Amino acid sequence: MSRVDIDQVWKIYPRGNVCAVKDLTFTVNDKEFLAILGPSGCGKSSTLRMLAGLEEISRGEIRFDGEVVNNLGPAERNVALAFESYALYHRLTVYENIAFPLRARGAKQDEVHKKVSEIADLFNLTHLLKKYPSSLAGGQQQRVSLARALIRQPRLTLLDEPISHMDQRVRAEMRAMIRYIHNEMGNTTVYVTHDQAEAVALCDRMAIMNYGELQQIGTVSEIWNSPANKFVAYFVGEPAMNFIQAVIEDGETVVFRGPDGRWVVKFKGEIDPSFIGSEITVGVRPQQLQVFREQPEENGVPGTVRVIEFQGEATVLTLDLGDNAKSEAKVVVEATERYDVGEKLWLYASPEHIHLFDGDLPVLRRNA
Amino acid sequence: MAEVRLENVSKLFGRKRVISDVSFTCREGEFLTIFGPTGAGKSTILKMIAGIETVSEGKIYFNEKVVNDLPPQERNVSMAFESYNLYPHMSVYENIAFPLRAPRWGLKLSKEEERKKVCEIAEFLGIDQLLERLPQHLSGGQKQRVSLGRALVRQPEVFLLDEPIAHLDARLKFSTQTLLKEFAKNYRSTIIYVTHDYREALALSDRVILLRRGRVEQEGTPKEVYYTPVSDFAGRMVGDPPMNLLDGEVQERDGEVFFKIGDSLSIKVRNELIPSLKAAMRDEDGKKIVRMGIRCEHIKMSREKMSEDSFQLPVYAVVSEAQSILVSFHLDNDVIFHARSMQQAVYDYNVHDKIWLEFDQNHMFFFPKTIELT
Repeated sequence: MSRVDIDQVWKIYPRGNVCAVKDLTFTVNDKEFLAILGPSGCGKSSTLRMLAGLEEISRGEIRFDGEVVNNLGPAERNVALAFESYALYHRLTVYENIAFPLRARGAKQDEVHKKVSEIADLFNLTHLLKKYPSSLAGGQQQRVSLARALIRQPRLTLLDEPISHMDQRVRAEMRAMIRYIHNEMGNTTVYVTHDQAEAVALCDRMAIMNYGELQQIGTVSEIWNSPANKFVAYFVGEPAMNFIQAVIEDGETVVFRGPDGRWVVKFKGEIDPSFIGSEITVGVRPQQLQVFREQPEENGVPGTVRVIEFQGEATVLTLDLGDNAKSEAKVVVEATERYDVGEKLWLYASPEHIHLFDGDLPVLRRNA
Repeated sequence: MAEVRLENVSKLFGRKRVISDVSFTCREGEFLTIFGPTGAGKSTILKMIAGIETVSEGKIYFNEKVVNDLPPQERNVSMAFESYNLYPHMSVYENIAFPLRAPRWGLKLSKEEERKKVCEIAEFLGIDQLLERLPQHLSGGQKQRVSLGRALVRQPEVFLLDEPIAHLDARLKFSTQTLLKEFAKNYRSTIIYVTHDYREALALSDRVILLRRGRVEQEGTPKEVYYTPVSDFAGRMVGDPPMNLLDGEVQERDGEVFFKIGDSLSIKVRNELIPSLKAAMRDEDGKKIVRMGIRCEHIKMSREKMSEDSFQLPVYAVVSEAQSILVSFHLDNDVIFHARSMQQAVYDYNVHDKIWLEFDQNHMFFFPKTIELT
């Protein structure tokens, strides 16, 4: 399969002078599953369309295995594409739908049969080969569409939100299957989505975009633990990271002041000494906060439960903190534990889970 | 605020019965959610309570008063729909203030009182910057919040909310959901809420009515609905991924009962579960078939054998989540099921690794087959 380099790529739509993609540079490694994640209008789909050859590249270069593909059409690039809509041929059976790209190339009957059987087996479609697409459920149709895209062993698989409209059960199965196929076939896959959970679930690495620019690229744990800026910190994770104003007291601690006292929270990492004494934003993930009924020995901040939301596998509490700004914080707790509205609790975060931001930019330097 | 009670309510469109014999009570100050898939009849019930649809059979009570024949304007309900129904020629402010000005409620608020109420609710929903705009200059999510604000600005007997946050993006949905819950608590409002999203149903409600093809399938608190589903349908409606459902054959050997899935997997069923298993069992081609349900967090995984009840399967796919890992397994009868774990060890599992699994029988259910698994 192949390695893809996107090198200083721009996409400018002359009409309206919109700059959809600005100076984008990153590499998709061979056999990697890369997700491009961002809110609507961030340029992720334009990027995908430029990779597919459906959209002209305004400036910069895209290379497949070192070969510049800017001037190759979609067919010559040998990429597989699957969208949210399945675009199946409704008058052909599942078998003929999957066989279509091979027939178009004039493959021999034996070869067609062998390859269709192989891929149908991989996608659990063998028992459906004689059916027509209209008689299949949505998840099955998307499997046919993916099988058709992948049968000619493309150099690159491009998926644009292929399962975001499906219901939870089918989505869980499709995620597992997409990941399984990626591993089995040894593909290079680029997956575009606005759903952070989808990206976290599937990818080896993710590229996060906003306003046409790359914000950060890295593994899930890199993005989770050391977000490049406040946008990334906010965008990845559900519920989103809590942001609370506080003052940096010294090189190791921040302080929250409230009517009933002051609470000191230690952080791990180094800061520029010029920040001491200034107000910054503390970021803590709801999943990395813990609650206690007694004051913990260190890093405890008090709060009062305002809202309790049961989620099934977990419960999310919203607390009013005891600081002057009356900040709120969300925390994910075990669903089996019982809490009441109005209950006083202590929140604890360990020093390595504390993030600090000055505006959009991180303040802390950490040695990974 | 009122108590709302439905007594054996049915609705027929021509000869088609879309709601059959539905009874439930929404107590005063309660947040009740009618939850179910598309086409289950959720909105029809809400419309009957509002008075927009007639009741074919049965009675609807507000407190102790039958309201079947009262027109909508005499029921004193406040509604928000999935479609926003905003007045296009009025500003956001005027849209929200509209119910306060309706002569029927005789509120006769002064300009200042009105402004205070509108601003309060607008600020609460984060649309206070938009008050002077016309609906056509709003995004879908903003329109929906205006529609919700208009419904919440006045205190009626009951709030009827039909998918009021369905069109918000994921982030905003989550925060608006928290606001709604807070609103309900602060004003001790009677709210009947319709949604097809299980997360909203679980997070918001005091109680949930699960609806299936016009009938009540299950009624209970969110925790009851999540932890003790009454059927395979109920298990499938809730959770991400929803409850794993595995069909298998019941075999008895030497007084012990085994549940056999596919060709290779056989699980000894604990004595406590045998009565429910026998009740759910059906004969199919001379075999005794039953459906087992278990949530993904109740399947234990390990590289070592855990007990006599554990069994080995190869990993089909590994999918990471924020704080956990979802591991999928593919059975020889073409069924995929998922197990979730937060243990560090699970993070090293690779596709094709053979892993030991164990079903936690405290959280295992047996159901008759009532839905198709495709």
